[in-house]
Amino acid sequence: MHLFNWNNAVSSDTIKRFEAECKCKVQETYYGSMEEALAKLTAGAKGFDVIGPSNYGIPPLVKLGLLQPLDKTRLPNLKNLNPAFANTPLDPNNQYSAPYDFTVTLVGYNADKLKSLGIDPTSWAVVFDPKILARIKGKVTVLDDPREVIAAALRYNGFSANSQKPEELKKAVATIKAAKPYWAAFNSQSYIKELTLGNIWVALGYSNDLFQSRQDAVKAKRAFKIDYTLQKEGNGMTADSFVIHKNAPRPDLAVQFINFMLDGKNAAGITNNVGAGNPNAAAKPFIDKALLAVPAINPDANQVKQLEQLTDLSATTRRAWNRAWTDIKVGN
Amino acid sequence: MRNNRLAKWLISGPPLLYLLLFFAIPSAIMAFAAFRFPGDYGGLLPLMNVNPDTGKTELLINAGNYADFLTLENFTRFFQEPVFFELFLKSFWYAGLTTVICLALAYPLAWLIARSPKKHRDLLVLMVILPFWSNFLIRVYSWMIILGPQGYFAKSINAVLGVIGIGPVQLLFSHFAVILVLVYVHLPFMVLPLYANLEKHDMNLLDAAQDLGANAWQRFWRITWPLSLPGVWAGAALVFIPALGMFAVPDLVGGTDGIMIGNLIKQQFLDSRDWPFGSVLSIMLTLAVLMLAGLATLIGRGGKRNAL
Amino acid sequence: MHSKQSKWLWGAASLVYLFLYLPLIIVVVYSFNDSKLNAEWVGFTFKWYEILFNDAQMLTAARNTLIIGLVTSVCATVLGTLAGLAMYKYKLRLLPVLVLTPIAIPEILMGVSLLIFFVMLNMTLGLVSIALSHIAFCIGFVAIVVRSRLQGMDESLVEAARDLGATPVQAFRLVTLPLIMPGIIAGALMAFTLSIDDFVITFFTAGAGASTLPLQIYSMIRIAVTPEVNAISTLLMLLTLALIVIASKVAPGAIKAQS
Repeated sequence: MHLFNWNNAVSSDTIKRFEAECKCKVQETYYGSMEEALAKLTAGAKGFDVIGPSNYGIPPLVKLGLLQPLDKTRLPNLKNLNPAFANTPLDPNNQYSAPYDFTVTLVGYNADKLKSLGIDPTSWAVVFDPKILARIKGKVTVLDDPREVIAAALRYNGFSANSQKPEELKKAVATIKAAKPYWAAFNSQSYIKELTLGNIWVALGYSNDLFQSRQDAVKAKRAFKIDYTLQKEGNGMTADSFVIHKNAPRPDLAVQFINFMLDGKNAAGITNNVGAGNPNAAAKPFIDKALLAVPAINPDANQVKQLEQLTDLSATTRRAWNRAWTDIKVGN
Repeated sequence: MRNNRLAKWLISGPPLLYLLLFFAIPSAIMAFAAFRFPGDYGGLLPLMNVNPDTGKTELLINAGNYADFLTLENFTRFFQEPVFFELFLKSFWYAGLTTVICLALAYPLAWLIARSPKKHRDLLVLMVILPFWSNFLIRVYSWMIILGPQGYFAKSINAVLGVIGIGPVQLLFSHFAVILVLVYVHLPFMVLPLYANLEKHDMNLLDAAQDLGANAWQRFWRITWPLSLPGVWAGAALVFIPALGMFAVPDLVGGTDGIMIGNLIKQQFLDSRDWPFGSVLSIMLTLAVLMLAGLATLIGRGGKRNAL
Repeated sequence: MHSKQSKWLWGAASLVYLFLYLPLIIVVVYSFNDSKLNAEWVGFTFKWYEILFNDAQMLTAARNTLIIGLVTSVCATVLGTLAGLAMYKYKLRLLPVLVLTPIAIPEILMGVSLLIFFVMLNMTLGLVSIALSHIAFCIGFVAIVVRSRLQGMDESLVEAARDLGATPVQAFRLVTLPLIMPGIIAGALMAFTLSIDDFVITFFTAGAGASTLPLQIYSMIRIAVTPEVNAISTLLMLLTLALIVIASKVAPGAIKAQS
């Protein structure tokens, strides 16, 4: 069975257990951003059985005719889903997709360093305000992903992360352009390690990646602590779901895999091992108590209000965002 | 006679067909794509579609109305926004600087190999080529290790700078890293043509000049350098053109402002899914390379005439 | 005065050699380092090689690389030899342009145009599309090597064979072919190494389904600098070194012809 998924989304333990159950081999191919995955899938990438896109990536995949509807008679575990994550506008009635995790896009940081500098990571200012950035120049990375970075800049400016208004986009782009000279890199993958190493101090990244970075730092007995926190201006979040490719060579295994991942215990593994939030109600009893206290994994009612699920943008807006992103990347 | 023509077609036909199919036609399609609209989710705006209800293929555009599917917008975007021109300039600057540094490093080496005893020459040349036989990404990767802030090299450099009182510098993810690695991966391309040229020089000319009282400096600038110009131009072309189209090096060791044309092209195709604009950028890069090649040929001809 | 000058030059040259080799030596040394970080030396280990040989994805990628390399090498050698012969024998206009341009332009241009082409044909990107693309850019290199070999050949030998009653085909098979064989072998080796090393064109034509070693290395480097990359790099360098040694035994002129 061939899985096309986010880097660092499902732990290898879980995959191994599935391999034992289905007596098959799972081959994984990774991508670092939704845009990259969509580009590859529209460019005719074939041979995948299961894909794990962010929910906002599902409508394009459906419109492109790349998915096949889920056979719900073979997915008894679908009932385990937390109602808040089932039947969303991005995929009504879960015709094509079964959510398996959610991640929040937030700030991860070197706790000791920021404390000694007296910088507060609970505001997006730590990534976008040139005055603060001047003190941590070259020690900041942001995701190499227009959807996530522009969304964060929109929230920082007090707008919706899914804003379709050109003037709001313009402001967000101006914010990013002003901050860019202070950033070390656009990075969606190796920032996990750079943060652990102490090469960077602040990263705009995914909650599961930063969880990983924090665990790694503890494991490697680094002299400092890595932590991550929600921002008071609000954060973008995305649920990720499993879908089945239209031309899946092994649709039978694909369904089996999805049902396996919807099992409460297996689903809990995603949170326990990878640090992502869990859309599976049956998973809660199996999740590490300590992790349930982390807002990015288990937000309370107030925090939920500040989390905004990223949606599918209209073609015009998406093009405008991509163009803005090109300008950001090219400009000096 | 007929036999001859048959033989000619039998010999040249297969490679000709293959390259027409897998080089000429794809290039032509790319040129055409530059005038099209991007599709909503990547690729190009389709010209026709299979209607899911009727199963019939339908033309989505009015064939008589070219404006429905052909546009100059992608080109106007390129020319209207100065950032793209600036990016081209920057890429030329990076590639040019790389070429000059490669020349400065390669010249003494090539000269020395050409002047060393004949039996050593092949070995010395092989030693230049050998590292270049290792995978390109490995060569880039090696510098990521060296320049990484936790590495010995970066630590010692920053220790030295610290003594002088200059704050720690970021080596990896910087302009410096991009140029350094570009030089590293392209250096052999400069050494080889230079060596091939310098090896052919007639030493008697230099001896004669010395007898006539020319000092070392004069002998170099008046004799060796002009004679070596064809080698210099060949090496420059072999370094400059691939460096110009590079995307992996800025991608791996460059910072937020280190990107080159290649990165932008890659971004249009693999991230932004704006193929038409990516095609425009590719066409511009092709034109730039062709112009340079033409220029080099002209200069090369002029150089030869002067040398004669 | 001469000796003083050359001492200075030798100094500069050794530094350049050091610059060429030091990074690669570091890669090799760190492949035995018992630390994930590639920064400080901790201790000696073979563990990264063990991990490497148990990495299913890496092994698949290695197999893909080898298959593509062999297919490319065979096809590009046949087509490239024909192209070299054609360019040597006849005054052609179109063929030399088609043969030489792919070598002269930045690789990325060929990569993206082939990507558009394959997608428009609705072709599954993978092993086949990669091999087709590799052949296209390797033909030129083989053709150049073969043509230069032909240019160095004594034409009177072929004429003598013809005078002795050999048909053109016989003359080619018995005289020309053996004479240009070292060039053909050099071309085949070159196509093979170019193919297994290629990153840029593969990157665009691989889609997401098939991976080769360079692609695998690239995605690993992007995620994190890990000693497993050092290990695979070391093995790859050994492989190329072995190829060079074989080449110098089989076709002594081969390596020179490639430079």
